[in-house]
Amino acid sequence: MKFFLSYIPLFELALFNMLLAFSQYVVLRAGVFSLGTAAFAALGAYTSAILATKLGMSPWIGMAASLVLGAIAGALVAIPLARLRGVFQALATLALVQIMLSITLNWVDVTEGALGINGIPRSVGLFGMFCAVVVVGYFLAVIGASSIGRAFDVIREDETVAVSLGISVPKYHLIAFILSGSIAGFAGGLHAFSSYSITPNEYGFHMLVMVLAMVVLGGRVSVWGPVVGAAILTVLPELLRGFQEYRMVMQGAVLMFAIVFLPRGIVDTAKNIWRARRVAASEAAKTKAVTV
Amino acid sequence: MKALCLSDVSRSFGGLPAVDGLTLTAPAGRVTGLIGPNGAGKTTVVNLITGLLKVGRGRITVGERDVTEASASALARAGVARTFQNIRLIADATVLENVVAGFHRHETTGVLSNLFGLPSSFAERRRLEEKAGALLERFGMTAFAAHPAGSLSYGHQRRIEMMRALAMDPSVLLLDEPVAGMNDSEAHSLAEIFRDVAGQGVAILLIEHNMRFVMSLCTHIYVLASGRLISDGDPEEVGRDPKVIEAYLGS
Ligand SMILES: Nc1ncnc2c1ncn2[C@@H]1O[C@H](COP(=O)(O)OP(=O)(O)OP(=O)(O)O)[C@@H](O)[C@H]1O
Ligand SMILES: [Mg+2]
Repeated sequence: MKFFLSYIPLFELALFNMLLAFSQYVVLRAGVFSLGTAAFAALGAYTSAILATKLGMSPWIGMAASLVLGAIAGALVAIPLARLRGVFQALATLALVQIMLSITLNWVDVTEGALGINGIPRSVGLFGMFCAVVVVGYFLAVIGASSIGRAFDVIREDETVAVSLGISVPKYHLIAFILSGSIAGFAGGLHAFSSYSITPNEYGFHMLVMVLAMVVLGGRVSVWGPVVGAAILTVLPELLRGFQEYRMVMQGAVLMFAIVFLPRGIVDTAKNIWRARRVAASEAAKTKAVTV
Repeated sequence: MKALCLSDVSRSFGGLPAVDGLTLTAPAGRVTGLIGPNGAGKTTVVNLITGLLKVGRGRITVGERDVTEASASALARAGVARTFQNIRLIADATVLENVVAGFHRHETTGVLSNLFGLPSSFAERRRLEEKAGALLERFGMTAFAAHPAGSLSYGHQRRIEMMRALAMDPSVLLLDEPVAGMNDSEAHSLAEIFRDVAGQGVAILLIEHNMRFVMSLCTHIYVLASGRLISDGDPEEVGRDPKVIEAYLGS
């Protein structure tokens, strides 16, 4: 029990990272190369923190506001970015992270600047985080199996085919951005209420790379992809605690390894292999039936 | 019942005309042929009709509607379906999933029901899979439903392209070399299906190098060379035309 208790912060971190990875996953699944998750998460975290510390609002209102503002921010970003693709989308959303960072650093009256906001009442624990991951994961699984998920998959694999089938790419990119923004905003709110304090730099370049690495490593079609990726990339640094300074190096190395050897990520690669096996097995059964 | 009409359509790439003043009509209920040597501009015509390429000059209409400026996805939603000469499937997805994607324009469940996983969203999925299953049966592909599309032969992949296009329940169907690389009996079974589809009032524009196939299916054939129409008429007229013979031998 004591052993378990000492790991609670790690589990909470893993669950928070899973939520962020869900936000990154949903855009990548739709073929949107957005790096905006860290910016949406910062928006959510600061919204909750400010509402709680300055206005004394309840955590429920704070988290709801974080989610709604995240969704609105996602929609507002999607509209001007509708014409951009690939690396240009990445650059535009990277700028979003920069903008968010300079706001949280410099708008001292509201955000307390580099010191961050302290004394946020801790009202979300491990169980709350776990419930959030289950709910968001289930929600994404349902969406993924629906018409929206089917459209996302076609757009990601081949946009020319998508438009030739009548799929409106801007509409589905908008949906993806709204989902991504609301999930990250919600995650940021939860994080604020589970960690007493938040600072601008938590939501910077490091988070962006980490979240991207999680989804690339885990996979971006199945909802289990971000879960597995986040679990591995949260636990791995703990196992290599002696090499704390090399955290970024290690993440970079994992990212490169995944891109080169597992371009579809762990979960989707495994799923494809399993599928191929099952087909091969049913083929073998058929030929056997014919020869007998 | 909608006919496809092109009038004086042109498009050039970097000053070089790929399609030059093309006028043609593909009436509903018929299979119309579009033939010509390699590089004649046939695929470009399909890309112009489907809105993937912008028309330089001229007008394209489907039924009464002017679609010259319409976007590709708007055209697809209006019922213009196509297959791709260079086969474009989702390789990792199963055959069934690829065909289900074709039903997009008929999906009726709203965004919110899909977002919240209302029963209508699941019911729609089942309904589409059943309809896709019926198409698979028609094309003799039922046994491959669960196979990843990318693992199949070219002949099978071309069939998936056609099933996906038919899933759109189009009023205009553009087939870009649908039987390339198939043997005669395979091509024959597809010819039956195309006749059937046309019989239901669809306007089919068929691009194909296999002359026997084109001659047996089409009521009217247009011949393109270097982007220009050099001949058109019924299969016999076109087959006798010295300009056509010259264009093919000269290429
Ligand atoms: N997107 C493009 N950009 C530049 N040139 C193009 C483009 N698409 C086609 N072309 C050119 O237009 C001409 C016609 O090409 P197209 O693919 O339409 O011929 P095709 O009749 O379909 O030939 P094939 O029988 O080989 O399929 C070719 O010279 C080709 O190089
Ligand atoms: Mg061609």
